[in-house]
This record gives sequence, structure tokens and C-alpha cells, in this order.
Amino acid sequence: MADYDRRPGGGGSSYNPKKRRFREDDDYDRRGPRRRYEAPPHVRLRKQLIAIAENPMRPWHEEVQAIATLFTDNWDDELLRGNFVDLALQLAVEQPLKTPFVAAVVLVANVTRPEVVDLLLAKLAASVEKGIKAGEWRDVKLYLKLLACLQGCLEGEGIFPLLEGLFERAVDLQTASSEDTIGTEIVKIILLTLPYVMAAAPGQWVQKAADLMEKTEIIASEPHALQTLIEPYHPESGEEAPPQSQSLIGLLQTQLQSEANNGWVLPCLPRPWQLPLSDVEQQSQLDNATKHALPPIAIPETVITGPRPLFPEVYFSVYAGQDVESVPPLSNAAASLIRDALLDTINVLHFNRNVAARHLIDLDCYFAPRTFAARATPFDKLRDIEPPKSTWKPEDVAVDAVFSQLFQLPNPEHKLVFYHSVLTEACKLAPAAIAPSLGRAIRFLYRNSPRLDLELANRFIDWFSHHLSNFGFTWKWTEWVDDVYLPDVHPRKAFINGALDKEIRLSFAQRIKNTLPDPYKELISPEKEKDAPDFKFASDDTPFAAEGREILALLKRKAPDEEIEAVIQRIQSLAIDREIDALVASTDVFVTCVLHFGNKSLSHVLAAIERTKDRLADAGAASDAARTQIISATMAYWSAHPGVALSIIEKLLNYSILTPATVINWALIGRAGSTRGEALATAHLYEMVFNTVMKVTGRVRQLATKPPSPPHQQAQSSADAEEAETREREIRAMRALFAAIEDALAAWAAGSKDEMMEASEGAAGDSETERLVRRWGERWLRVFRRRAAIEEAFLVEAEKERARLRAEMEEQAREQEQARARERELDGQGGEGMEVA
Amino acid sequence: MRGPRPTVERLDQPSAYFTSRNKRRRFEKEQRDGDDDSNMQNEQTEEDLLKNATTLYVGNLSFYTTEEQIYELFSKCGEIKRLVMGLDRFNKTPCGFCFVEYYTHQDALDCMKYIGGTKLDERVIRTDLDPGFTEGRQYGRGKSGGQVRDEYREDYDEGRGGLGRAIQAARMRERETRDYDDDYGRLR
Repeated sequence: MADYDRRPGGGGSSYNPKKRRFREDDDYDRRGPRRRYEAPPHVRLRKQLIAIAENPMRPWHEEVQAIATLFTDNWDDELLRGNFVDLALQLAVEQPLKTPFVAAVVLVANVTRPEVVDLLLAKLAASVEKGIKAGEWRDVKLYLKLLACLQGCLEGEGIFPLLEGLFERAVDLQTASSEDTIGTEIVKIILLTLPYVMAAAPGQWVQKAADLMEKTEIIASEPHALQTLIEPYHPESGEEAPPQSQSLIGLLQTQLQSEANNGWVLPCLPRPWQLPLSDVEQQSQLDNATKHALPPIAIPETVITGPRPLFPEVYFSVYAGQDVESVPPLSNAAASLIRDALLDTINVLHFNRNVAARHLIDLDCYFAPRTFAARATPFDKLRDIEPPKSTWKPEDVAVDAVFSQLFQLPNPEHKLVFYHSVLTEACKLAPAAIAPSLGRAIRFLYRNSPRLDLELANRFIDWFSHHLSNFGFTWKWTEWVDDVYLPDVHPRKAFINGALDKEIRLSFAQRIKNTLPDPYKELISPEKEKDAPDFKFASDDTPFAAEGREILALLKRKAPDEEIEAVIQRIQSLAIDREIDALVASTDVFVTCVLHFGNKSLSHVLAAIERTKDRLADAGAASDAARTQIISATMAYWSAHPGVALSIIEKLLNYSILTPATVINWALIGRAGSTRGEALATAHLYEMVFNTVMKVTGRVRQLATKPPSPPHQQAQSSADAEEAETREREIRAMRALFAAIEDALAAWAAGSKDEMMEASEGAAGDSETERLVRRWGERWLRVFRRRAAIEEAFLVEAEKERARLRAEMEEQAREQEQARARERELDGQGGEGMEVA
Repeated sequence: MRGPRPTVERLDQPSAYFTSRNKRRRFEKEQRDGDDDSNMQNEQTEEDLLKNATTLYVGNLSFYTTEEQIYELFSKCGEIKRLVMGLDRFNKTPCGFCFVEYYTHQDALDCMKYIGGTKLDERVIRTDLDPGFTEGRQYGRGKSGGQVRDEYREDYDEGRGGLGRAIQAARMRERETRDYDDDYGRLR
């Protein structure tokens, strides 16, 4: 019996095809005399259950029955029995694509060992309850999916009372506030669970489902108050038919409505619990197996957001509007169901990107047969596919899912680099299949980059350059060659410039130049290929050249500060004679010298800054103009390598030699001003401002999430007050920073900056450039307004959380106090002596 | 501790190298003092050693990869607190490894998950959680000053100075002897 259970490979972790082949060939033939080692049943069961549905050659019903039999045959093995239930639940939340298959094993096992379902339901119910209480909404959704697949063996109405209970909570939340996101999340979960119920118990629950969906309609179809904030596209005002993204939940509601009208066919969902017609006897056993009661699941009065902030979601696709549908259309529920299962898989498997990528490549194993076209079908060949057959390319569907995360606003669940790495691995696993899909995604994003939200446009640059760095920097640059001649302020040219700079930062100029067609080579200046930037004071034409060289020499021989001070004094008095700002002049010379002195590597420059930090801090503190000059000098010295300049500025912020406001002013007023706004098109300027803002908001968040100290400790309360003061101060500073950004950018967006007015007055103005600059202003403004709004929302939530924790601790303290009091009473006289001791 | 064994292996675990090195050390210590109690404590501390680790050892770098390139890539997982380049003990030139220190443990774990095993400067790099940099560890421990693996490496790796140095030296000696023989022949 157990013989065909010995499937090679298996084990979610061992994905080495070579190894698998090796075992297939060798395991059986050559090892003749050696006694075959048979792993104990609980080990085999674990291995097989984990690897369920991974092998496309094996029919689902066979595999499901085999695992169920292995389980029920060894029912007396206590280890195996307990492990099975835990593993089934674990798989539901760790490898969600396999949930229907795990459910099928449970359903088959139910025929001979109905007790297992009770065991499972008890733990499942407890897990759901725990998930709801903790606000772990994804876990709740994944457990409900398993439960939905088990609907066929549930007593009475099965999962429906639970869904209705959840819905009521959602209604409460939504009526309380129009900005509520938990209610929306709950409705999303309900809607995503429903199809699995309908696939698991076909025909029975049509009315129930219709009733539920009638109720969800109001919440689902209402556009969410925060949706404009997270819209991935930011079309120009005059643009024709701006692409309006659809809210995920609204889309889901209409898709399911049309499914309901078609009798819930849901052709994409796998139904491994359906046996082939030849197994009619088995099937009827399965259908008539024992039904079980779902243990009650309590839903708390107040539900919480949980560890991840919730935002409304929109459906994003990089394969929209193609002439052949390579991904499910928006009208089809498959679009949402497949996407949802893939996103959970990706985000859950953040701890193993290889397996996440493997699931993406194998995604057609986990959905109904014929849902997709054959793997690696070239896009052009999709046209030849005859109508009833699917034209959905599994690679496109997989890649689309990752991009939807990469381009999710405000932030996806994990760091962006995680999604980069998943795409890299997918590309490594199946280059011939994935690479062309990525290529089409890149072209789509490139075409649309002018109307993408600016934060997303920059994420695109970041991903693109990082991705290329993993694949030998090869890209068909020739197809964009016309855009090389566009002005730098054009958004597509800005993308090219930004991407090349980032490629160079990960590699080096000469290498990147070699990957480019000739016209692009002009974009890489010869300075980028130099080992070190020129020292401007080496030339006598530069003002203060002699003094600059002198300071450099002093730095080199580690001269005492007084000697440097003397030269600085000399520069300042010379500057006064020449009627220029003395502090600015001396700061420029000094900073340039420090940078040149430390130009060998970041460690060198950091050591140089460390050594001179007092002088730098003094220079910065002397005047706003001098502080700004520190940035000007840094950016000027490292102008060929802005990445280095940005790293240095980050460190100067850490030393508090610079303030965030200095950076903002330098970038949005100084730098943008001196280029008549055109600098707003440079990716590294955006990066500089964005990083600075993230640094400030990160600090504020850290302070806001710091839990309050336990009450009734005298020393603590003053510390608490101090902490609150720091927090308030930092919050005020953050708000001031956002206000400054708003002011500067609003002027650029409105075209009311003095520099722009002057430009349009003089020389008749280049109206196209002016329009583009205004557009950059608008795009920047949108990004930082959103950031400001998100931080405010975060602070509100954090305040609530602090209050909750404080109340909890006070409660605990009271209880302890009471317990102590009781103890004292009980102990009486003797107790006092004890306490003294 | 961390809950049940996951159904999928985690990429943010210390490597076999780290574990085995410590096992070896533990074994040696055991041989020395044979005290069960201290062993228990030892095991405890080893686990704790990496529990809050913020540093990563990064290996298989090219000798020519710069600090700036490392910053560029590794910053994608969080701000870098400190970067220490691995240097040849004698020449003080980069010898293909470094230590990256983050501000938080989470950033270090994320780096293991998202950056370890990807490419930097067109080489697949290796990351390993590290208990923390201490002075002296920046130098190669190989005989000729670089990393040990670059002594006897038999493949030609352009980014890491060609063949292993010991092998190069052996070939050099061989060639010298041959030249000497030739000369000797001619003289005769």
C-alpha cells in the first residue's frame, strides 16, 4: 500500500530538480542489496502533505486519497494524528495555494475517521478566534478559506453564521466612521471566502450567498474616502480618459455578482474533492460522510487593526489593455481569486523567496486544469489559441501579482527589495518563460511612467536597475533610443537618466557604458569614469585656491585645529574684502577639502568627518547659508556620483551637522530654484528629499510606538513626561518639515515660483518646459501630501494604542494591588513579619 | 521558541558554517573541561549570540567591489550603521569579504532573506548572521594574507585574483625550476 507513497522530492524545501531526477533514477535500480529505509508514517505523512499538488503529473484525486489513506491507516499512531491537524492548519497559513488540497485530504479522511474533522475544527475555530482578536486579518482569511473548503462536511449552515457575524461587525465599524478600514477589510475577507464555499458545496447555498452579497453591496461599492490617496496613477488634469483604478473590493463585488448570475461556475478554482466519474461509489461515500458542528467562534465587540496598517486597495495590472488577454479580465472573478491567492503566498513566504518564486512558476498546478495556457507560450502565440481555450499566460499572472505589490501605495507589506528578489528568483528558475513577461511589463511601465505616481515611478527606477544588475545589465535599450534626445525634464528621459545612474552605482560607469547603444553613451559624462573627482582648488583660477590647497595639506598631516582655524580666518577676511558671504566661502573651502581628503572610500570620508565634526558643526551652526553650503559643496564635489553625495549627506544628518530642514531647503528652494525647477526631474534629488523625510518620520514613529512605562512608579512618571515632551517636539518638527515641503512644492506646482515667473517673462519662455516643471511640482506635491497624511493617521493609531496599553497596565496594577491586599488580610499578624523579612 | 517548524525552510537562519564552527568549539571545550553544566550555558550563549545580531558577514565579493557599491545594495534593507571591508593582512587591499552592520536585528534578517544569494557586481554573494565585528577580524586568515579559500582554489576566478595563491606560487616555483633546468642545459 505504502509503496507508491514514496514519491521522490517532496518536502516544500527541496526544490532541486537535479536532485529529484537523481533520486528517481537511482533510488530504485542500483541500490539492490542495501535495505531500503522506510521512514516512519508520521514523517512520510508530513512530507507528502507539505508537497501536495506540487507534481503536475499526478492526478489530484489519487494523491489526495493516498495521503488520506496513509493517515487513516496509521490512525493509532498518536504522533501522526496530532501532527496532521497542526500541519493542516499550518499549511493553510504558510502555503495558501495548497488549502483546497489539504481540505480534500480531510474530507476523504472524514469517511473512515470522522473524529479527525472534530479535532481539526476545534483547533481551527480557536485559531480563527485568536486571529480576529489580534487583528491578524490575513490569517483569519486563510483559516476561513480552509473552513470554506470544508463546508461540505459541516452541520447546519456551516460557515455562514460566522460570516454573518463578521459582517455585522463590519457594518458597525462602517457606520461609525467613513474612514474605517477594518470594516472594508472584513467585507473583503467575506467576499473572498464565499467562492470557496460555493465550490466546496455546489448548489446548496445560493440563496444564503445572495443574501450576504446583497448586504455587502453597500460597503463594497461605496468608494472609500482614502482611495484617492493610494491611487497608483496620477494623470494630468487635461489628459483624456484618465485611467481610474478600481477598488479591489468594489471589483470583487461585481465579479461575484456576475458569478452568482451564472450559477457560481467559478471554473478556475480547483475541486480536488471531486473524484472522477469512475469512482462513483467513493464519491457518494464522500458526500454522505458524517457532518460536524462548527464550534462557536466569538467575535469581540471591538476589533482592532492589528500589526499591519490597513488601507483600501486598488487592482493594479501591468498587462491591462492588451489586444489579447494574457491575464484574467477585470470582469472575471478569477482575476481577484488568483491574485489574492498569489499575494498571500508571496507575502507569507517572505522568509524563503526561492519557494515563493517556485509557487509562482508552478501556479497552474494549484488551479483548475485548463485555467491557463501552456507554460511559456510566447505572447504572439496566444493569438492562435482557439476561443474556448484560455489565453491566460501563467507567467504574466505571476509577474502581475508581484508588480501589484511593488506598486502598492502607501507601502506593501514587506520591504520593496523583497519583491525585487522574488522577481529575480522567478527569472532564474524559468528565464525563458519569465523574462519576456518582465519585458512587456517594463515596456508598459515605461510608457506609463509619466502618469504614474512619482513615488511609484521612482520605485520603478529602483527595481529596474537592481533587476538588471542581477542579469548582466542586459536590456534592449535600442527601442527607447529616440527618447535620448528628449530634454532632461521630460519624464521618460528622467527615467533613463535615473536608471543609468542607479545602474552605475551598483556597478561602474565603464561597465554600464558597454551595455548601451551609442546614443546613450553621451549621457554618461567622462567625469563618471574618473577614479576620483577633481580638486577644484588644484586650479589657480578657483577663488581661494591657495587656501584650499593649504587646508588639504593640513588635513593630510593631521595638523592641530588652530592651524586650520588660521587659514579659515584668512579666507573669511578675504571674502569680506570681495564682498561675498564670509561664512559661506570658508565653509565651502573647508567642506570641499574634507571631501577630497576622504575621497578614497566612504570609510575614508566618514573618518575625515569624524575627525572634523566639531568644526563642521560650528560651520553649520554659524548661519543658514553656511549650513546649506555644506550640502552645495558635497553635491558639487560628488556631482558625477550623486549616490556618494547622498550617503554623505545622510551621515551628516546623523551627526546633526545638517538638519532635515536644510536638506529640504537646499533641494526644493536652492537647487530647484537655480535650475528654474528643472532639477525636480532628477531622480536623486527626489531620493534625497524622500530619504530625509523617511528618516524624520521613522524617528517619530519610533517615539510614538514606544510603550508607556508601568504606572505607580514615581521615577517613571517624570520619565514619561519627558518622553511625551520629546515626542511632541519631534512631531512638531515633522509637521513643520511637511509644511515647508508643501510651501515649496505648491509654488512649483502652481508655477508661481519667482524663478519660473522670471523665466516666462524673459525670452518668451519655453512653455513646454514650464508645463513639465509644473507637472513635476504636482507629482512631488502629491507624494509628500500623502506621506504627511499617512503619518498623521499613524499618530492617531499610535495614540490609541498607547492609551490601550496604559489602561491595560493600570488594570493589571489594580489587580495586583488587590491580590496583595487579600494576601495581607489572610496572612494576618504572621504575614507582617514575613514582609519585613 | 519560534513556534512549530515551518513547512518551508527559512533563509534567515545562521549558516551551517556558523553552527558547525561553534559545534567544533563546543566540542573542544568539552574535551578540555568535560563539565556538563558549563556546556549547557555555552549552548545558551551561542543561541543568544545571534538572537539580536545586527551584523552580517558578506562573502564571495570581488576584490574590486567598492564600499559604495555595497552601500548601494545593502541600504535597500535599512540604513547601514557601519561597513568594514575585509582586507589582505599584508597589502591592506580588499580581499573579497566585508561586515555590514545595521541598526536593527530585523534589517539584518531581511538582508539574509532578500540580498543573500543575489548578485552584487555580477557575483552571487553570501551573507551570514554574525555576532558582531571585533578588531582584527577584518583581515584575511589565509597564509598569504587573503582569505583561506583563496589559497588553494583550483578554479580561475578573475574577480578574486585568478587561481588560488598557493597554487599560483607552486606553479611559479615549477616554472622557475624549469627555466633553471633549461638554462642549465644551455650552459652545458
